[in-house]
Amino acid sequence: MSIPTLQGLQTTLSGLLANQEAIDVTGQNITNVDTEGYSRQVAVLETNEPLHIASLSPDGGGGQLGTGVSATAFTRIRNEYLDAQYRTRNAALGSSTTQTNELTQAQSAFDEPSSSSIASQLSAFWSAWSGLSNDPTSEAAKVAVVSAGKQLAATLKEVNGQLQSIEAQAAQEYNAIAGAHGELQSDATQIAHLNEQIKLSLLAKQQPNELEDRRDLLLDKVSELGNIAVTKESDGTDTVRFGDAGEALVEGSKVDWPQAITTATGGRLGALLESASAGGPIAGYRNTLNEVAATLAESVNKLHTSTPFFSGKTAATLAVAVTPAEVQTAEPPNTGGNEVAIAIAALRGGAAEQKYADVIAQVGSAVQSATSTSANNKAVVTALSAQRQSVSGVSLDEEMTNLVTYQRGYEASARALTAMDEMLSTLIDHTGGVGL
Amino acid sequence: MTTRVTNDMVMGSTLADINSAQVQMERTERELSSGKSIIEPSDNPQGASQAIALESALSGLGDYETSANDGTAWLDAANGALTGINEAVQRVRELVVQAGNGTNSQGNLESIASEVEQLTQVVKQDADTQYAGQYIFSGTQTGTAPYQQGANDSYSGNNGSIARSVGPSTNVAVTVSINSLLGEGKAANDGKLLDTLRTIATNLREGTPAAREALNSKDLGALETNMSTLDSLQATVGANTDQIAAAVSRIEDLRDTTTTQLSDIQDANIAQVSLEYSNEQAAYTAALRAGASIVQESLLEFLH
Repeated sequence: MSIPTLQGLQTTLSGLLANQEAIDVTGQNITNVDTEGYSRQVAVLETNEPLHIASLSPDGGGGQLGTGVSATAFTRIRNEYLDAQYRTRNAALGSSTTQTNELTQAQSAFDEPSSSSIASQLSAFWSAWSGLSNDPTSEAAKVAVVSAGKQLAATLKEVNGQLQSIEAQAAQEYNAIAGAHGELQSDATQIAHLNEQIKLSLLAKQQPNELEDRRDLLLDKVSELGNIAVTKESDGTDTVRFGDAGEALVEGSKVDWPQAITTATGGRLGALLESASAGGPIAGYRNTLNEVAATLAESVNKLHTSTPFFSGKTAATLAVAVTPAEVQTAEPPNTGGNEVAIAIAALRGGAAEQKYADVIAQVGSAVQSATSTSANNKAVVTALSAQRQSVSGVSLDEEMTNLVTYQRGYEASARALTAMDEMLSTLIDHTGGVGL
Repeated sequence: MTTRVTNDMVMGSTLADINSAQVQMERTERELSSGKSIIEPSDNPQGASQAIALESALSGLGDYETSANDGTAWLDAANGALTGINEAVQRVRELVVQAGNGTNSQGNLESIASEVEQLTQVVKQDADTQYAGQYIFSGTQTGTAPYQQGANDSYSGNNGSIARSVGPSTNVAVTVSINSLLGEGKAANDGKLLDTLRTIATNLREGTPAAREALNSKDLGALETNMSTLDSLQATVGANTDQIAAAVSRIEDLRDTTTTQLSDIQDANIAQVSLEYSNEQAAYTAALRAGASIVQESLLEFLH
């Protein structure tokens, strides 16, 4: 038996086709160099099933003749372990970034150091009393004391109100993301939809590379909101568990959301829940402010015996309860004495001020540590992202090299086809024409 | 170590480097323009908390100083009044000695009595000295004159005391008890200055041998006793003025140390920060330059 006459044409044709497909993949990679979430693909080239050529010699045996090449698959280059690591750290980054954000807002609410801060107002209040002690019968000095007190109370109320609105905004943001028809539900719905399409593609023996890229991108996005656990099922679908929610967020084409979660979920949602909660840091600062207000009212009222100077015991309700004429400077009131004014001015540096200085140290340290945690997480996520890019990202240099390689391969295959054609032309056109 | 470097990685890391250089520069810029190293409490939480206490202490020292100046002025007024009383009493003493030498006619004695009565009014006027609209010798009844002009010698003030706060738990009294010197007049028969002066005038006008005798011995003795009370009042005022002066110098010292402490905590070291700023600017420019040349390069440039 001999080699089939036209086999060579088929073999070189397979070379043309395979190189063309490889160039197509290269083109796909190049065009998606800046596409977010795109994983580079490579054409897997394999030799075709060889032809068995029986030996012409009598002792049996034979040879195998290669029949060319074909692109058997377009593989998506991706490292699942890096994905899992990336998503875990991305949840940590989401959490610390949100925390930094919320705490920085709280810090700004205190407006320290500045001339309009609570500390400055407190200081001005004590100075007003000291001024009154030098001129205890002066109407103007009494007006100054009352107005300094009012300003202090107003500032306490203002800061408390700002902190409350930060908590309220955190709760609102949580609802916007995690509530019905929120960002999380919409992402989960898209993941479930992609799960279904991927499953069908695989059943049809198609490689759903682009669909998987899109699903991975959505999973990256969801991982910022909270810790996720992704299980790859045998039918190609991903089962996604979200934080400490009781049921899976996505299973096959089914979405189960909204569900109840706690701060243990981590990510942006965990941090928002914490900021909005009554046991959170911002509520803690408000409690301390209330203590400042209560201490202030109690210590001043104890010395101002004629009638309480302050009414209210919380930052929101503290108010000056006396008119300038009712301001007491001495015991008994309405004399030119000043011992009460001196005693109240001497409250400077006392418990109220110390509590306030403590809360400033607390909020400062909280912002500081959240900022540095956030910077660390950012560095880790950037590093992991670079590692993923190193595996999955498109390198234009590499693609240009591939392009040249496959282009040359195509040209060479075409040259081989021409040679084959000329050979056959000799056989068909010129054989048997001896002497014609 | 990554073995494969892709375009996105180069872009990403270049951008991250430029960004972090910018963030650092912005922060240094704020430090330079404000001159403070603590712009927000998170820059130095412990320092920010200490700065609150120190700022308040500094403002408190300012209050003490204001009170001290006010107290000094009050005591100066008191000292002036007591000096006036002292001069009047010295004059009365001279007149009594003059009247007691036995050569005076009744007419002379009458005119001496008139002068004594006039000096009594001077003493009462001095006792009614005001500082910033307040009667300084009325105890805490600062709106009421301690003595009325005329015959009524009763004391209208009280025994309350007014102080100036010149340091933490340092309150210095600025009032002295004037009625311990002047008393309530002849009606009270308390042997105090007004009683003594009225008695002297009466004895001068009577002019009897018994009255002259009383002038020479009993009245002169009473005057001496009153003068020593006056001396001790003046000494008290002087001592309190000294105490305030000492407090003021302590306040100055404290203010220096507190200001230094506060500056150490919250002020930026401009020389150091300026140097850091130039370094960061250099780093930023380098990152930009590197970015501009690296990001453009690829194999595409060399293939035709």
